Amino acid sequence: MTVGPRKVNDRVAFRNNGTIEIVVIFRVGMGVCLENLISISRQPDLSPATTKGSRMHFDAWIPASLLVWVVGVQMVTAAETTVPPDRIRENTPVVFALTNARIVISPGKVIGKGTLVLRDGIIVAAGAGVAVPKDATVRDLAGRTLYAGLIDAYSEVASAEPDKAKDAGRGAARPATSGTPESPGGAEYWSNQVTPQLRVDRTFAPDHEQNKQLRDQGITARLLAPSTGVVKGTSTLVNTGDGRAGSAILRDRVALHAKFHVRFSWSEERAYPTSPMGAFTLFRQAFYDADWYKKAWETYRRNPGLARPERNEALEMLQGYAGGGTPVIIDTPDELYFLRADQAGRELGLNVIVRGSGREYRRLDAVKASGRAVILPVVVPDTPKVKTPEEGMTVDLAELLHWDLFPENAGMLDKAGVRIAFSGSGLKSGTTLLDSVRKFVDRGLGADAALRALTVTPAALFGVADRLGTLEPGKIANLIVADGDLFNKKTKVLETWIDGERYETKAYYGEDLRGTWEATIDGPRPEALTVVLKGEPTKLSGKVGRDEKEVDLSTVALDRAQLGLSFKGDDLGMAGVVRMSATLSGGAMLGTGVAADGRTFDWTATRTAPFVPEPEKTPPEPPSKSLYAANFPLGAHGVASLPVQPTAVLFRNATVWTSGPQGVIERGSVLVQRGKIVAVGRELAAPADALVVDASGMHITPGLIDCHSHTASDGGINEVGQAITAEVRIGDFVDCNDISIYRELAGGLTTANVLHGSANPIGGQNQVIKLRWGALPEQMKFEGAPPGIKFALGENVKQSNWDRRSGRYPQTRMGVEQLIRDEFKAALDYRKRWTDWRARGKGMPPRVDLELETIAEILEGKRLVHCHSYRQDEILALLRTFESFKVQLATLQHILEGYKVADAIAKHGAGASCFSDWWAYKLEVYDAIPYNGALMHDVGVVASFNSDSDELARRLNTEAAKAVKYGGLSEEEALKFVTLNPAKQLRIDARVGSIEAGKDADLAIWNGPPLSTSSRCEETWIDGRKYFDREDDAKQRVEAEKMRAALIQKILKEGGSDEKKDKGDGKPDEHPRPPRTDIYCERHDGIEGGY
Amino acid sequence: MRRVTSGALFAVTLAGSALASTQIPAKPQDHPIALVGGTVHPVSGQEIAGGVVVFDGGKIVAIGKDVNIPGGAERIDVTGKQVYPSLIDANTTIGLIEVGAARATNDMAESGQINPNVKAQVAVNADSELFPVARSNGVTLALAVPQGGLISGQSALIQMDGWTWEEMTLRSPVAMHINWPDMVPVKAWWMRETEEKQIETRDRNLDLIRQAFDEARAYQTARTAAGIAGVPFHGYDSRWEAMIPVLDGKIPIIVNADEIRQIEAAVAFAVSEKVRLVICGGYDAPSCAGLLKKHNVAVIVDGTHRVPRRDDDAYDAAYTVAERLRLAGVPFCIAGGGESANVRNLAYQAAMAVAFGLPKEEALTAITLHPARILGIDDRVGSLDTGKDATIIVTTGDPLEIPSRVEMEFIQGRRIDLSDKQKLLWEKYKEKYRRAAPRD
Repeated sequence: MTVGPRKVNDRVAFRNNGTIEIVVIFRVGMGVCLENLISISRQPDLSPATTKGSRMHFDAWIPASLLVWVVGVQMVTAAETTVPPDRIRENTPVVFALTNARIVISPGKVIGKGTLVLRDGIIVAAGAGVAVPKDATVRDLAGRTLYAGLIDAYSEVASAEPDKAKDAGRGAARPATSGTPESPGGAEYWSNQVTPQLRVDRTFAPDHEQNKQLRDQGITARLLAPSTGVVKGTSTLVNTGDGRAGSAILRDRVALHAKFHVRFSWSEERAYPTSPMGAFTLFRQAFYDADWYKKAWETYRRNPGLARPERNEALEMLQGYAGGGTPVIIDTPDELYFLRADQAGRELGLNVIVRGSGREYRRLDAVKASGRAVILPVVVPDTPKVKTPEEGMTVDLAELLHWDLFPENAGMLDKAGVRIAFSGSGLKSGTTLLDSVRKFVDRGLGADAALRALTVTPAALFGVADRLGTLEPGKIANLIVADGDLFNKKTKVLETWIDGERYETKAYYGEDLRGTWEATIDGPRPEALTVVLKGEPTKLSGKVGRDEKEVDLSTVALDRAQLGLSFKGDDLGMAGVVRMSATLSGGAMLGTGVAADGRTFDWTATRTAPFVPEPEKTPPEPPSKSLYAANFPLGAHGVASLPVQPTAVLFRNATVWTSGPQGVIERGSVLVQRGKIVAVGRELAAPADALVVDASGMHITPGLIDCHSHTASDGGINEVGQAITAEVRIGDFVDCNDISIYRELAGGLTTANVLHGSANPIGGQNQVIKLRWGALPEQMKFEGAPPGIKFALGENVKQSNWDRRSGRYPQTRMGVEQLIRDEFKAALDYRKRWTDWRARGKGMPPRVDLELETIAEILEGKRLVHCHSYRQDEILALLRTFESFKVQLATLQHILEGYKVADAIAKHGAGASCFSDWWAYKLEVYDAIPYNGALMHDVGVVASFNSDSDELARRLNTEAAKAVKYGGLSEEEALKFVTLNPAKQLRIDARVGSIEAGKDADLAIWNGPPLSTSSRCEETWIDGRKYFDREDDAKQRVEAEKMRAALIQKILKEGGSDEKKDKGDGKPDEHPRPPRTDIYCERHDGIEGGY
Repeated sequence: MRRVTSGALFAVTLAGSALASTQIPAKPQDHPIALVGGTVHPVSGQEIAGGVVVFDGGKIVAIGKDVNIPGGAERIDVTGKQVYPSLIDANTTIGLIEVGAARATNDMAESGQINPNVKAQVAVNADSELFPVARSNGVTLALAVPQGGLISGQSALIQMDGWTWEEMTLRSPVAMHINWPDMVPVKAWWMRETEEKQIETRDRNLDLIRQAFDEARAYQTARTAAGIAGVPFHGYDSRWEAMIPVLDGKIPIIVNADEIRQIEAAVAFAVSEKVRLVICGGYDAPSCAGLLKKHNVAVIVDGTHRVPRRDDDAYDAAYTVAERLRLAGVPFCIAGGGESANVRNLAYQAAMAVAFGLPKEEALTAITLHPARILGIDDRVGSLDTGKDATIIVTTGDPLEIPSRVEMEFIQGRRIDLSDKQKLLWEKYKEKYRRAAPRD
């Protein structure tokens, strides 16, 4: 090919990799351009000899009437630049008029045919009657649709974390010691998990290859967030053009990023926080510290004579969030973390935006009520494996339902009025954000809503609504040129414009050649051919005809420069294979050809008819809607709604074990009104509106109470990063989805004391819950139950049974005693500092220390202590410690040597909550005896039997029978070990624990004597609502099997075609659940958890 | 202070040394004994109200309503009491471990994957405090099972009285124990390996099991052929030597398997290897009951006090395994869940199955005669029949109900001291509070 070397422009751009691109543009032939792109090393000698490589491509099919834009080169606009030129200055006009296009100004606001004027990277006019400025370069975009550029609302900088699949938690990855390489350095926070001072914009470098891929799917801006830590740092909003970082950054410090779901690690050298509970509280404490920091420095500035507060860059950078300023984006791996993020926002007054999980549909009402906007992932869940009978049998219904419901999540949220945006984070290459959102549109998300979620909403959330999100005049000229409706699967994004600079996409095609062309072969006797081109604009096929006959084109080769055709000419009277090529010139083809015998010819063609798409042979099936609505919690045992509370219920003809002064009543009745027991007796009249339950042959007991449980906690149970973690709260992580709740309900349990684990002498705060299956976490909390905390003594806290010595203080029972005493003293001092400061009314303000606050509440009698303890020496030492601070212990937990010092326990007034008969699972329980409970009871201790186990908690009634067997208590007294006594220990006996007028209607109905091993729980009531019914359970099993079968069929029919699975790093799959048991408690039965 | 029900008075003779029981083994039966007046539950037949059981020389010599009591027999009046064969726990580690977290007391699992040669009985600590506690509640017979690896070793049926493990071993080897690999990757917080890695490990382990059987067979062939017609001598291999009873069908393999794919794979393996198979665990066994029945595979339901394996499973799934197997005609027994310190609760594991449908008589059989049959020791124990060992318990009531107490116990006719460490501590501390109580 000959190139007319008529140089029109040279441009130089600096790449961040140290090479310089020189783009030389030659104009060739009839307005066709050849771009010669030479990439050479940055060195003084720019002679061609140093060329590392060159590539050529042709920029054909652009109407000759238009000027040519160069792809991939920085536009030098009229804006000021600090970059000194190293060549001749450039001054190409940057005023464009995009004419004859369909313009979607904003979602729902469409101009059928109009003009968009861009000047200096800004949209200056948009509309149907807009005049084309005289200085504008005009691009005719007839048949094209313009949209505002899309915004990817969340992406992450490359993670410094080690391979997530490896056994290393976050704590292991970044030890807390400051000065380690992973620490930010400088005046940092004590925990390197709190790094609000890390700013992505400070280290941002555009990745041109990635930007190209983003532009290909229409993304013109994205949020780039830090990836590690609990308080991770701040994000920046960048455009995806090929400019330098300085021109790409649209906004810095857009939001602060945080996450609570730290991963469990087996490492014994983990740093705080090792658990989600710890992370939440670290987040909380950091904001309290930030508040203190501000006040402390204000005070110091007013009075430099005071002791100088510490300098802390992290706390300085935490200013400006409280009170709802700059947003805080919190990652949430499921719908419960969504609610926790909302809770954190409410508590600390933060403007929280939730980075969601796609599981929000599971608690749509609560998500809606939060009022929070949510950034949704688009990575679809893996298709559940159901191909073999065994797979089908063992897959969770929740997983099947999720597969079916996930694609409708976005639509459901939008319809509920929740503001949504989308994140392409975690998408595997080959899948695009736009493709994924189109699937959501197929499944109920409105097209306007989808566009809003990709443009207007993120622009508003990130504080750039005045600059991005629509094509209104005044906005940054970030836009998309598409060849149809954006959410139609077939539509291609052809161009993106960023800051008024045009980029072609991978799908770009200069002109659509489809249609009917009349060709004329030059010669003495011109011959006519008809060429019909169809198919995709970039992948053409077609026919060629002559004299009423036609044959298929064997090849239609297309690149930007030329069209190449070949066909078997025999049927057309042209022997052999004929080859032809053409170059487009102003709407006409200028071609040459070679006949089978080698003779060459010239030809020309003009289009005589436009392309008419063939109707679809089989119209695509409309995407199927989800088969079932979400239930609560999602899965085989979920409910459609909470059970109703009848105005009145009368249970009749039952043997009523009251656990109260009325003892056991044969053929007794219990009357319940509005959730409360109002009468108990032999014969009670039913009020007119009462639901009457004939319980003939049945036994009714109070709902059972488990004084030591780890059920329904999603926070990791143990925060093991420090020996004292009084600040962490089980209550932050109530898991209302825990299937154990249902199973325990089915065993007659209604209340559980959910405790922190036993890893620390002073553990975290407990949460008493009622097993209100189907309710939200907050609704599960036992309203009014006094707050408490877990303490622990002995082997676990001194880590005796760990493989390696950690060296953590304490390592002896001596140290445990001292640590607790020391902490109590510290809390008293803490209170005094506050009292003194308040009294003085001036001076340096003390800081709020959530750990010492909690301890002070203990000393003030406002918080109950439940202490894991075994040996008589440690029990006695603890009692004496508490007595010296004039505090009464609420319960001693486990307390298997309690029988040895029962007199001291009774005198102190502590309750004792133990296992009935476990022993010998570690050395400190070698002297455990099953007579322990009865013997302590006999000496005057309020004693209970607990489970500490999701398994045992399902049959506490028969555990109680062991106090009959071992120690000879009456059955009635023994039953109190799992009803009234634990209620007393938890100070909730005014509400529950016995069947007495005035108490909550928490009842279990048994088909035989409650302490008999052959009895079974038939119904369980809480607050006068029936939460478990064995008959309903049987029906639900049938229903669940039907649902399972239907969903499996749907997957086998529809899911099979979609074998490709997205497995990116940020895959929003079920996050690995933290431990659900106290793993630092040597168990008698090894690890539980379904396996 | 309420007076605690007092049983027999125990001498508080707590020895200074820990980890050794103070109860003295009983003397061999030296005269005939007749239990008279109680309700006798032979398990192998109908209960006999006001029945008589006569035993001599450690064996039952007569049982029935009208039985001639030999002269010189000691007549023990058990009117109002219940007489049963001893309960049998078919899956324990009793004697092999004393204190869970104290590694020094743990002899359950040898290192390595293929240990067919190790034998449980030689590590059974005859003085374990766990034995008197277990037998106090009617369990005097238990299978001590090696743990760990893929082929864990050979189990032994232990009777819980004797000076040494030799005296306590009723039968060995009973079975070869195999841990079947998890066929499906485990997804749980405690799993340290990726799914891919788990599958890799699984496949390697399946190969190792298969290979062990192949090599054992090759060894058997070489040893048999050695010395005949010039075939050279083949040296001894203790691992494969131990496999010969398995290959010859003299003892079964007991395979730990709960998940359906494990069970199916184990059955397919046993069928192809032509060895006798017993499944232990068996959570999903009812889902492949047809297969088990067809190949005559029995199931040791390893406890009912288990949480369902899958979230979707019925809340009572583990409670109903035994009843579902019974209805499907699969032979089964119920074991105690492998918890060595609380072997005593075996009967309550069976009782849970009763609450959820298993007939009560079946539950009792499931912890006496059924395990004896499955373990191949029903010629000696498991029911009260003439000729069997006089290993008998006398209770105050149904042993499936918790408040019932064992009042008398015989192992091969030897009357057993029902004291244990826990009762002694109870007595000791009752004494503490008795002294502290104000005098009347």
